[in-house]
Amino acid sequence: MDNKFFITLVPGNTFIDKLTGKTKVRIFLLLIIILTATWDIRVILPILLLSIIMLISIKPDVKKNVAIIIFVILMNLFNLFLTWIIKPDYGLEMVGGSTVLFKFTDFYIVTAETMWYFLVRLLKFLASFLVSLTFIQSITPSELAAGLHSIKIPYKICMIVSLAFRYIPDITRDFTNIKISMQTRGLELDSRKSSILTRLKQYVLILIPLIITSFDRVGNIANAMDLRGFGKNKDKTYYCEHEDTKGDKMLVPFIIFLILLYIALVVYKAVYKAPFEVWAPWIQ
Amino acid sequence: MNKTLSQKLLGTWNTKTIVGVAIGAALFGVLMNYGGIKVTTNTSLTSAYVIPAIVGALFGPLPAGLAAGLGNVVADLLGGWGFWFDWSLGNFVAGYFAGLVGLFGANVEEGVFTVKHAVIYAILCIIGCALGFGVVTPFLTYMWYSSELTITWIQAWAAIVSDATVLIVVGIPLLFALAKRNARGTNLSKED
Repeated sequence: MDNKFFITLVPGNTFIDKLTGKTKVRIFLLLIIILTATWDIRVILPILLLSIIMLISIKPDVKKNVAIIIFVILMNLFNLFLTWIIKPDYGLEMVGGSTVLFKFTDFYIVTAETMWYFLVRLLKFLASFLVSLTFIQSITPSELAAGLHSIKIPYKICMIVSLAFRYIPDITRDFTNIKISMQTRGLELDSRKSSILTRLKQYVLILIPLIITSFDRVGNIANAMDLRGFGKNKDKTYYCEHEDTKGDKMLVPFIIFLILLYIALVVYKAVYKAPFEVWAPWIQ
Repeated sequence: MNKTLSQKLLGTWNTKTIVGVAIGAALFGVLMNYGGIKVTTNTSLTSAYVIPAIVGALFGPLPAGLAAGLGNVVADLLGGWGFWFDWSLGNFVAGYFAGLVGLFGANVEEGVFTVKHAVIYAILCIIGCALGFGVVTPFLTYMWYSSELTITWIQAWAAIVSDATVLIVVGIPLLFALAKRNARGTNLSKED
């Protein structure tokens, strides 16, 4: 079960892996913010290409990654299909035009603008998905905490994040153990053999021991942390946060460029009020 | 042990709370990925939503909200399907409300959880889910992605119904069980 997860606990040795948590978190957050803010394919496409390069550069587990990428693309296509069912002429609102390409009925039409909007939306989601997939696979929980702390998030919140990741393997192990031992006692969890409500009730039987064992640990961990003086000082340093490497120094201009790009996007949006959200080459 | 109103609203923050929220978030993340049945895209009938109820009962509303919100981020990271911060914030609101039951005298840590508290808890869950997934999430989704609201509404309704169901159907028996387990000295009577 744990090998299905995407968290890395041991840092790798590629270029991105070797960067400090600070740089990784900053680049990731900036890319996600930019992707969230824009609908412009001229911005999205380069970031998508960059994210593909980044993903390949960290040499991930191919099988696992391909499976999740296909799953996400299918899920997004399904979402787009639902959108089309509800509003076939959505491109009129978003892109500003409706060039009919194909007609099923008077209501169910396929327009170039709607398809363009769907394409942009798919690329936008795919880009932010690939960015986060790369991020997850290249950062360890401690680095994540250190990186979050470097952008002035209170260290107690960072501690929550890194502790949560620390205990996920433990919890999954307990969950699997309890589930298997309950199933050997005759608990039916197969969706073909029992209805949703009975399954939901049966999950309670797994949940109670899982929750009790998990929360029983809280006292021990908290005492151990208190004994080591956690929360005594106002600030905290991180063991895994090393000095900037060559790569970190190289990427400083890139981070500044991303910040400027974001500011430019916001200013452009505020000054030049585009009549439609999504830019298309053939719409003036 | 009497707590002030602000303590009840914010929860008591010490090392134990931090660890509790962390474990809650981790449990939330794992259950989001494995303890659920898919309803629509992005939403599922998941057992994860009992976690805010428990964290809220043990530590207070703000820890409950944080456990749900951060738990959703953890779930996104584990699942690897990208981040949905709009849903995380919706979860935060829903979790906060689920944790508010302590305001009305319930104290699971000391074993106090009665039928009255269960009813209040159920109402709070419905309000929280409606506010979190019916108002906060669609608003943020619109602000950030400006995507078709109809789909978000469908997902929001699925989320409200499924999460409120889990919070109530699974959460109440669980809270009763936890309260019974933590009950200390409730079966003692005072001797003259």
